[in-house]
Order: sequence, then C-alpha cells, then structure tokens
Amino acid sequence: MDIELIEIRDFLKIHHPFDLLPEEALETLPKAIEVRYARRGTVLFEPGEENKFLWVVRTGAIETLDPDGNLLARLSEGECFGVRAIMRGVAVNRCEAIEDSLLYLLPVEEFNNLRDNHPQFAFFFAPLGGERLRSAQAHSKGGTNEDMGLVSTKVRDMIRRAGPVTIAPTVSIQEAAGVMSKEGVSCLLITDQDKIVGIVTDKDLRNRVVAKGYDIARPLSDIMTANPICIDAEDYLFDAMLLMSQKNIRHLPVIDGGQTTGVITNTNIVQKQSTSMVFLVGDIYKRETIEGLQEVVKQVPTMVMNLVNGGATAHNIGHVVSTVTDAIARRLLQMAEEKLGTAPIPYAWIVMGSEARHEQTALSDQDNGIILDDSYDEATHGDYFRTLAKFVCDGLNACGYVYCPGDVMATNDKWRVTLHGWKSYFSRWIDTPEPEALMLSSIFFDMRALHGDESLYEELRKYVIEKSTGNRIFLSFMAGNALSHQPPLGFFKNFVLIRGGEHNHTFDLKHNGVVPIIDLARTYSLDVGLSEINTEDRLKAAVEQKVISQDGANDLLDALEFISITRLRHQAKQIQNGEKADNFMAPENMSHFERNHLKDAFNVVKTMQSALASAYT
Amino acid sequence: MWKRLLGPDLRREWYLIRMPDGPMKDYYRKPIPWPETDYKELEFLCIDLELTGLNPQKDEILSIGFAPIVNQNVVLSESAHYLVKPSHALPEDSVIVHGLTDDRLAEAEPLEEILPHVLLALSGRVLLAHHAPIEIGFLNAACERIYGYPLLTRAVDTLELEKRNRQQRNQPIDGGVLRLAKAREGYNLPRYRAHNALVDAVASGELFLAQLAHKAAKGEQITLREIMFRNK
Repeated sequence: MDIELIEIRDFLKIHHPFDLLPEEALETLPKAIEVRYARRGTVLFEPGEENKFLWVVRTGAIETLDPDGNLLARLSEGECFGVRAIMRGVAVNRCEAIEDSLLYLLPVEEFNNLRDNHPQFAFFFAPLGGERLRSAQAHSKGGTNEDMGLVSTKVRDMIRRAGPVTIAPTVSIQEAAGVMSKEGVSCLLITDQDKIVGIVTDKDLRNRVVAKGYDIARPLSDIMTANPICIDAEDYLFDAMLLMSQKNIRHLPVIDGGQTTGVITNTNIVQKQSTSMVFLVGDIYKRETIEGLQEVVKQVPTMVMNLVNGGATAHNIGHVVSTVTDAIARRLLQMAEEKLGTAPIPYAWIVMGSEARHEQTALSDQDNGIILDDSYDEATHGDYFRTLAKFVCDGLNACGYVYCPGDVMATNDKWRVTLHGWKSYFSRWIDTPEPEALMLSSIFFDMRALHGDESLYEELRKYVIEKSTGNRIFLSFMAGNALSHQPPLGFFKNFVLIRGGEHNHTFDLKHNGVVPIIDLARTYSLDVGLSEINTEDRLKAAVEQKVISQDGANDLLDALEFISITRLRHQAKQIQNGEKADNFMAPENMSHFERNHLKDAFNVVKTMQSALASAYT
Repeated sequence: MWKRLLGPDLRREWYLIRMPDGPMKDYYRKPIPWPETDYKELEFLCIDLELTGLNPQKDEILSIGFAPIVNQNVVLSESAHYLVKPSHALPEDSVIVHGLTDDRLAEAEPLEEILPHVLLALSGRVLLAHHAPIEIGFLNAACERIYGYPLLTRAVDTLELEKRNRQQRNQPIDGGVLRLAKAREGYNLPRYRAHNALVDAVASGELFLAQLAHKAAKGEQITLREIMFRNK
C-alpha cells in the first residue's frame, strides 16, 4: 500500500546509492522519511551538534563548510550528507542551505538498518572519504587480470619455502647434487658464514659438470656462479621478472633485511602467468636498432588499454609504463656507448617528471638531463656527451617520446652540466624561488638517475634535501605553487568546466585532477627531506614523518587512484574508439556513480589543499 | 447560539463530560491547539480528501490521505492513505478526475472504519489543508453523521496563506497561482506528477513549511492566530 509515496520512491530509486537497494527496500523506504524545508541561509547543523539523520537533497542546494569556513562540498539534488556526523555522533562540519531546499531526512536507525541488510548500500557509506573511494574503486573495477598479479605482488609473497636450501662452498659437487635431489630444488645457495657467495643451478650441473666431464669430487665453489644477482623482497614480481629476462637468468636469491630468505625462480613467475607486457620489456634489451625499439613501443597503448580493462590500478600501470620508458632510454644509452665508446668521465643520465615518479601512463614528452663529473672539460669531453645526448634524445623522439616542448633535455647545454653546475641551479631555485624556478621545480624536484654513475645523482640529491628541508620561505613558495592548480569544483552545484575551444564543456583530469595531488605530495616531501619520488611513496613517508595525517594521506591516495584510473579508463576508451587519448572529460559522458565519486575525490584534494595552505602560507 | 459564544475550547470540555466513550471522545481528550502558541511548538496534520463533489451534505469522500508535521518535519512514518467505500456508485465525472474506479473502491472500507484513524491522528493537532473549508466541511459532516457531534478544530489553509502573502506583496492572485502545484513552484518545491490524497497532503505540508520558513525569516515568533484559517 505504499504506492501513495511513489513520488519519493521514484526519486530515491534513480539516485545513488539508493539505486543499489532492492525493490522491496525501496517500497518501504519512503515511509521512514521526514521531510524538511530549509530556506536559503538556514544552517542545518553546526559543528558539535548532534545529527540523527541522513540527509538527502530533494530540491535546492546545500553547502558543507569546515569549522574554518572552507568549502568542502556543494550538494545538489539527489545527493546525501550528514553521514560523517552520524558516524561520529556529532557534526564536524557546518551544513547550510544555499538555496531554498526541500530535504528528505532518513532517521539514523533506519539508515543503520539499511546498511545492515544491504552490503552494497553499506559499502557506499563505509567509513568515509577515502574508504568510500576505495569501495568505489572496487565497485567500478572489472575482472582481475593476471598482468596485474605481477605488478601488485611483492617478491616476498612468492617465497613459499621456510628458507632457501643453502650449502657450504667446500662441499663436493656430487654431495650438492644429492642435496638438490633430496630437497627437490633446482638450485642451491652457497653461503659462507651466512653470507651468500654463490649459486648453483640444475643448468650449471648439466653445462658445467656433466657435459664437460668435470670431476664431481671437486668442491662446489669450482662451478658456482659467484656473487649472484639478488633481488630485494620489497620489489615487485614484475621487477624480478624483468631482471631475469634482462640478465638471462632463471634464479634470483631474495634478500630481505640483509638476510637471504629464499630464491625466486622463473617457474614461480611463469606459474603466476607470464605476460606479454613483461616480454615486451625484456624484448627491448634484445633490440639492436631504433626501428626495433619503435616496434616494441608501438604496443604500449594497447598494453595500457589491456591493463585498464583488466582492472589494474593506476599506480601499477604507472609503474609498468615508466619501466618501459626506462628500458627504452637505457637501451639507447647502451647503444650510444657501444657506438661512441665508454664515457671519458663519469656521468649520470637523469630522468625527470612523471617517468621519474613512476607515474607515466602513456607515451609522453621526454624530460631528461646529464650530470657530469666535476672533472668535465668542455674542450676534451664536450663532443662525446653532446653526441651521446643527441643520439638518445633523437632515439626517444623516434620511438614516440617526443622532444620536450620546454627543451628540458640532455641535448640542451643548460641541462647537461657538471654536478657543481646542477648544485648551483638548485641553490638558486631554492634561495630565490622566482616564477620560472617554480615552474621548473615541478620537473626537477622529481628526478631519478637511470644510467651511469648513480653516486653523482646521490650527491646532488643529498645537497638538494639539505637545502630545502624545513626552508620555510622556499616551502611557502612551493605550497603556493601547489595551490595554483585547483580541482574543477567550485561552481555551484557542478564541476567547473572549460568553456569554448576544442575542449568545451570538459574538465582536465590531469592538470586539475592529478597534478594538484602530485604537487601536494612534493611539497610535503621537500619539507621533511624525503628521498621518495613516487607520489604514493611520498605520501606514505610523509605520514611517518608526521607532516600529514594518516587519514589525510589515505584520502589523498584514494583520490589520486580514483582520478587517475578514471583518466586512464577515459583514455582506454578513446584508444579503443581509434581516437587520440587526451585528458579532457565531459561530465555528461560519466555515469552518475563516477560523477559522485569524482566530486568526492576533488573534495578531498580541496580539503588537503586548504590544509597545506594553512600550514605553509 | 450559546455554542458560538463559548468557542471551541470550552465546548470541548463540555463534550468531554457529555459524550459517550468512543473515537470522537478520544479525539477531544487532547486540547485543541491554543491560538497564542508559537507555530514551531505545534503539531499539524496535513489532510487531503478526494471527493465525488464539493457539497459535504450530498457528496462523498473517496479517499483520505494524511501526514503529521512534528518539529517542523513532515513525518511520513505516521502518514496514511485510505480508500473509502462509497455508499452509492460513483458518478462518472469523479472517476475521470481521480482515476478511481468502482473496482478499486470495492477493496476500500466504509468511512465508519476509517474515521477513527483520522480522528486519532488529528487529536491535539492543527488541521492543515490546501483550501481547508473542503476538508473541514466534509470531516465535520462525517463526524456529525457517524457520531452525532461536530468536529471542533483549529486549521491552517495553505491556499488562504498563499493568498494573504501575495496580497501583502501586491502580487496577482489570479491565473491559478494559488493552486497547489503553482504555489509550490514559487518555493522551489518539486513538481509531483502522481496525485492521490496522500501525495497532495504531503505536498500541502511541504508548502506550509516553505511558507512559514519564508515568513519567519527574521526568527521572530509566529502564533497560530496569525496563520489560522478563519471560517466566515
């Protein structure tokens, strides 16, 4: 008989998350509701007040403001508020009607009842902000993909045995073979006083012993591979696979906190589904020509599309794509060195920007440079590095990593200087943060050595950290810079959209979505002198340094992931449709679900921006 | 004649002494809302009736919908909707207006069964309707007929309120602007497509909340007397 309240039911039915409720629940729901009218300017609740309802906007609009008066959210027809206040018992924020509004109030008992009986509904509200985004991600994620396993599984998780089978170097080959067969392992780690000194595999026994008729009474140290390449337990399985494919080996001892905890084998990984993506990277090192590299790079857009469709996270995809770019640049550097001979003095090839952060998601502009040893002499060494830089940058361009429009490339004399030169650059940027310096900062403060003598980079990094850590003046400029990109929220009721031009009625998921979060993380990271470069790593480290709260960081990470994956999905769709991928998204092309959660994500960014503003400016 | 002089509050006391037990007496157990009370402290019952015509002596009630306003919220958990079984077959034109058919009304109950529910909900509350004379007239006639006593109540008429507001602001009151749906538009209230007694009762309640929110903008007290419907 609830048919009489059909108007209310029909309204709720088309609004998220009520659309997740089954028909029967929707039928009885209107009966639980109280209806309130709020004139424009009416305060619905103030911080500290009790709230006993979930509020739904029927008509009109509501603003949520934090106690300092910063705008947190604008809610329009069909949107809910007051959840945080329900969870905490009292309101934290202030809610005010900014239009004459009709509101539906769902009493807390009924709200809890719905959450208890309908997990999907509970999921939507499940702890707030970040958590809700997390559930949104789970909700919108497709199936799982085996490709993902490799980039999300840590090496540590793949070790099954309690410990590796180890043996002393003095043991005879025959005895060692007996141990292998008894333990059922394909390799042995040779340790001397708990230190790993070598490795022996099935293949070694076949190639180095049996095939050569070697004396099996001889000690194992004769045939072992000394000082084997190891992998850290913290690395991803993907990295392990790359390393194996790069070095053409099948066994990798795993080091965890200085201890050898196991061995990861080729078969482990093949079991975990070897994938085209990994072979793609392995393939790069086998290519001898730039044409060969081009062929490999061509597969990147499809690879990204598959990863997105397979449910990989944006974080993982960033890692994978950046790794491909790294491999291309490394291979080009190898080729250059083969052609030009070994470098006359130590140098480090550095990469900047998204590649450095491991956040590249598509073929993008190249940003690179060279740190030269201070023994550099222009007359003697100039030609070598000029030629090397030109070879690599041209090669990258030919592969689709087009020349940097701002000329941040090793071919630019300005960005191919000695360690001393780099130090004076950073010193100037930090001491006199002019607009140009701030513009460059977003590129140069995200830097990583890719090839050559890493100690040059390490020294520069240390220098930069010393100069910037706790430097209030510089940080306030960085913070100001971080606030220059705003999430596209702010216009009443809706996203702020680009007007006119090619991207009319869209918003920019990169500059107004991802970049503000990256900028926030960089500022925090510079404040406390973190060495992390990846945004996620930076935020996590910043929590440990207590410059950002755990909740704040979690919310930001979720916002980053949601915005990034939305952007990637958008691009994957464009690629599928044969269009050129871009960052411009039109709200009408999004589901109600995506719109709501993007608003959540942008709100998180806004909140954290105002926190940053009050901390540094 | 003495009845008119005494006013509803004293007459209620008198009825309580005289009247036999039953739904009507239960209704009178709570005092009729006092005119000098701030409207925020009062409870209202928004009522809408669907009828076969406009004459309380001749025409019949087809359905009744109501929902109370408590603490300035329309409380739907206490709302109700009843179909009334008519004593005669329906005239054709009301079938067209309300979409009510004899078939559907066959499932309904006689007014005698429903009226106690209405009286229970209305007791101690202010009757609220859009164009209240109709609801007052029909409910009063029903009480007279079934219980032999009149329905004494105080009421608010959202149509009357809208008319007064518009006259005060020198706005026109023609062209149907006083009709429920039109009046609601002026307050940014949603347009309801469905029409039945309950939806309209809720709609009039929402309109009332909006009217008063606008009237009480300065936070001053508004007594029932200022907004009360006066039967001429």
